[in-house]
Amino acid sequence: MPAEELELIQRSLNGDLEAWGEIVSRYKEAVFAVTLSILRNYADAEDATQDAFIRAYENLRKYDLSRKFSTWLFTVAANVAKNALRKRRRAKDPPLPEMDGDPAEEAYGDLRLEAVRQAVAELPETYRAPIVLYYWHGLPLEEIGEVLGLPVGTVKTRLHRARALIRAKLVQEGVIRDAVG
Amino acid sequence: MRWDELDELLRAALSKEVAEGAKGLSGLEERVVRELARRSTHQRFWTRVRDFFTRPTPRWALAGALAALLIGFALGRLTAPPALPQWSPNLFVIAAPGARSVAVVGDFSAWQPIPLSDPDGDGIWMASIPLPPGRYEYAFIVDGKWVGQDPLADEYLRTFGEYVSVRYIGGGRADLSS
Repeated sequence: MPAEELELIQRSLNGDLEAWGEIVSRYKEAVFAVTLSILRNYADAEDATQDAFIRAYENLRKYDLSRKFSTWLFTVAANVAKNALRKRRRAKDPPLPEMDGDPAEEAYGDLRLEAVRQAVAELPETYRAPIVLYYWHGLPLEEIGEVLGLPVGTVKTRLHRARALIRAKLVQEGVIRDAVG
Repeated sequence: MRWDELDELLRAALSKEVAEGAKGLSGLEERVVRELARRSTHQRFWTRVRDFFTRPTPRWALAGALAALLIGFALGRLTAPPALPQWSPNLFVIAAPGARSVAVVGDFSAWQPIPLSDPDGDGIWMASIPLPPGRYEYAFIVDGKWVGQDPLADEYLRTFGEYVSVRYIGGGRADLSS
């Protein structure tokens, strides 16, 4: 862990909220990517991101300094998002269709990217989170397993299945014509 | 399309998606800090309330102790057993809660037991024995056991390997020995 980050964490442990604000600033996008991968909804993911940072601060004393901070933080975020997802399912509140891109952008932007994004969004949550942690965060499989509480073998199989589902969807929609080789 | 091309496409698509959503994260730092500060203040309030009741200051502790003392004194006055007879040199008294029989033996009775009584059942056994001034050796017998050391005695002796109490009635030892 970089010395500067360690200092921020130690200051946060001593109740320095400004230091924690700096941690939020550094990790907010990464944490948001985790919560978004699970909740698939911008508004819910924003709320979960805020909750995750609050929960992490309140549980900072449980953080083992020998562990990688980001992994611990992402684990907190994944748990917060999973809880939010469970609440949403209990409330039978379907995810908002906020993930649809701007029509103008879709018309003029990269349609392939939009199609891939849509294919990822349609993946079950169990596949979406490993995909985001692998492709967006660039985490090694062991850390993905740690964050999601899964064995590495399960992470591998889920990544394979997720990619296969995305490919099938893109082929079906004519975004890619040929079989992946 | 090769796998690595699909991988690149996935990375690009996810980056775009997160970047678009992250626009809503502007000011998140302030919101988190504000919420944590609010919770801290809220927590401090309840901590103060709890401390008020569970961790009294020395002043409150003193007041509480005084109040408890007064209440205890008042309750004691209300529930106290009838006052003991005023102690006199002729009164033989011993605390023997739960005892079945208590007696006093002494040279004044030729070491024959004189029963003590506990009419109110509070464990205080007593007997008033009119004795002329003098020096008296005695002991109590509690459920058959010898109790030679009376706290109210003037002195103790060891006789036959056991203690006996000595009481001077009608003046101190010096008075009686003179």
